[in-house]
Amino acid sequence: MDLALANKLFKRSPAVKGFELCKEGKINLTDAKINIPYMIKEINTGDQAIKDFLFTLGCYEGETVMVISALAQNLVIHVKGARYSIDDDLARAIVI
Amino acid sequence: MRIALTGNPNSGKTTLFNAITGKIEHVGNWPGVTIAKQEGDIKKSLYRGVEIIRVVDLPGAYSISPFSSEESITRDFVLNEKPDVIINIVDATNLSRSLFFTTQLLELGIPVVVALNKSDLLESKNIKIDLDELSKRLSCPVVKTSSTENMGLAELLKTAANRSGDEQTAPFKSKPFAVKDQESAEKIERERFVFVEELVREVENRTVASHKQTRQDAIDRIVANKILGIPIFAAVIYVIFSLSQTYVGPLLADILVGWIDALYEFAAELMGGDLSPVLSSLFLDGIIGGVGAVMGFLPLIMVLFFMLALLEDSGYMARVAMVMDRYLKKVGLSGKSIIPMVIGTGCAIPGVMATRTIRDDRQRRTTAMLTPFMPCGAKLPIIALFAGVFFGDAAWVGTSMYFVAIAIIIIGALMVRKITGESSSPAYFIMELPEYRLPSIKRALVSMFSRAKAFIVKAATIILVCNAAVHIMQTFDWNFQVVEEGMEGTSILAGIAGPFALLFIPLGFGVWQLAAAAITGFIAKENVVGTLAVVYGITNFIDTEEFELISGAGDVATVMGLTSVAALAYLMFNLFTPPCFAAIGAMNAEMDSKKWLWAGIGFQFGVGYTVAYFVYQAGTLITTGSFGSGVIPGLVAILVFVAVIASLIRSKEQKSENRIKEAV
Repeated sequence: MDLALANKLFKRSPAVKGFELCKEGKINLTDAKINIPYMIKEINTGDQAIKDFLFTLGCYEGETVMVISALAQNLVIHVKGARYSIDDDLARAIVI
Repeated sequence: MRIALTGNPNSGKTTLFNAITGKIEHVGNWPGVTIAKQEGDIKKSLYRGVEIIRVVDLPGAYSISPFSSEESITRDFVLNEKPDVIINIVDATNLSRSLFFTTQLLELGIPVVVALNKSDLLESKNIKIDLDELSKRLSCPVVKTSSTENMGLAELLKTAANRSGDEQTAPFKSKPFAVKDQESAEKIERERFVFVEELVREVENRTVASHKQTRQDAIDRIVANKILGIPIFAAVIYVIFSLSQTYVGPLLADILVGWIDALYEFAAELMGGDLSPVLSSLFLDGIIGGVGAVMGFLPLIMVLFFMLALLEDSGYMARVAMVMDRYLKKVGLSGKSIIPMVIGTGCAIPGVMATRTIRDDRQRRTTAMLTPFMPCGAKLPIIALFAGVFFGDAAWVGTSMYFVAIAIIIIGALMVRKITGESSSPAYFIMELPEYRLPSIKRALVSMFSRAKAFIVKAATIILVCNAAVHIMQTFDWNFQVVEEGMEGTSILAGIAGPFALLFIPLGFGVWQLAAAAITGFIAKENVVGTLAVVYGITNFIDTEEFELISGAGDVATVMGLTSVAALAYLMFNLFTPPCFAAIGAMNAEMDSKKWLWAGIGFQFGVGYTVAYFVYQAGTLITTGSFGSGVIPGLVAILVFVAVIASLIRSKEQKSENRIKEAV
């Protein structure tokens, strides 16, 4: 049905995820554990404007990001001393 | 001298602006409250200079390169209009991000003063900032302020006034690069972040890291919970509306209506028999009666505005956007669409304007088109009147109107998505989460009284003129002779409203009086109640029992001659047709497309007509066993409306099919 559901189903099956990891070699913010700082490896979005906007917030390659909580399919993330709510589409675009 | 207020969203610019100018601009605890620039002169008590200082409050921005349209207002102003001084408002609890924008502002050559706002929060957060070092590093003065506590404002203004005409050196100077060169631009901005980070490390001493789990997170975990999020939001909304419409509001309204009645009696006595009956009737029934009927609902509206101000101040609004995002995304809207709708329950105009922060054109336009369906404060009197007169003050009438509105919005959004097609790129959702705080009663009172004042001014101007006009048109016929009793159908008003009334026969209220009230409602929705008061000669809508005693001719319901089903249809027609002209003007501004505007208005008419038709016809069928009058012509009108929408959807589908074929 929707992507989030598919994502959840994939998460339940470690074999599939392992396969994904081997193939892609990268995970994104939706895979992040809560309260663990991660380094951003890549912002993978076709939308340059949102990439630039994330940049002005201090969310760019090499910076640290932390997921504070996952609520209602949106993530609360912490970047440079501020909290933001982002949706899972955007979370998926942030490769860590 | 002109001073511009700039800074990150939700850093407290407008609160500071209100504090130094004495104005009452809309403030709220979420990013993106201010969507246009506002100007005002500094209060004499804060600055004793000779020169008048004009302050310009600008929408919040994270950087000098704009992301959403309100951010570009800020950029354009500081770059093109060259203010004499820039006050950069910096959230003292979040230096590391805020100073990024500061260093960009410092490069413009305009003298900058940094206001370290929210300084009152530093102590409780165990943050220490070395003011002198910060000022030295930024090469501009830094003043500690707190706009909510009125702290440091006089000093800030004095410092700013003294800086006018100064040179400004930039601590971080970006090397020139080709405009199109994305890579070197990014490299420079990265260096800027490094510079800011080093600076913050030097001047700030923080004992608690801001990412540590706090009570704020605990609240978020409940309020934005997967399961509890929606019920909590529904409960909050229910409390707000039941307090304003059923409990506190009417209680206060009863008192006010007593005063208005006394005024009516007093004026009647004062005039005695000296005035001609036409003039005294115009004054008493047209003006005092009509305006009084509207004014009687003021307490309900004040309670509503008070509660909304508390809600906006708490920081909850950004969480509602987050909770609603996944649901609204399914119908092609954004989580941010919920904020205009909640604001729209107060007034549709600021509601529609709040759509400006939605970056995706289609989402913004759809939200602007659907926001007016939320019953606004001016529609509250209509709801309260009909709930009171026809449904024995049943609380379900008011509450269910909001749920019907939500249902219409969801269906409407789905239709728009079908007609316009899916967006090609995902519309990402990102919103800064402000900190929760205890809402300030004082701020809520200030907001309530300023909006109450606006309501009274409106009642004393537009509503008064409309009611007087309605009364005059009702009193005279086309030959400017006074209409005799029993011959009301020959009046000018009946002549104008009559043809429209024909259209309303399938909806159950095809009489000219009700048509006239619905038409004046487009000027301002308060007019619906005012006009009804004038055309039926009723002055007291709140206390219907008292009305029975005065007239002795049965109750308001009998005077209007409506069945309760027709009354419900009339109520819903007035709620779900296009909003007042002022709100349509706001729709025009935010949609920025004539095609969208006319489609939106057409859609609103269609929805209002269709809903009223089905309520009346189905309701009449259930209560009496047969359809109401005009069932066939009404159905034809609705089928035309449905056909238009269906053909729009089909042509879209064909287009996309063709595209797929071409692609194959």
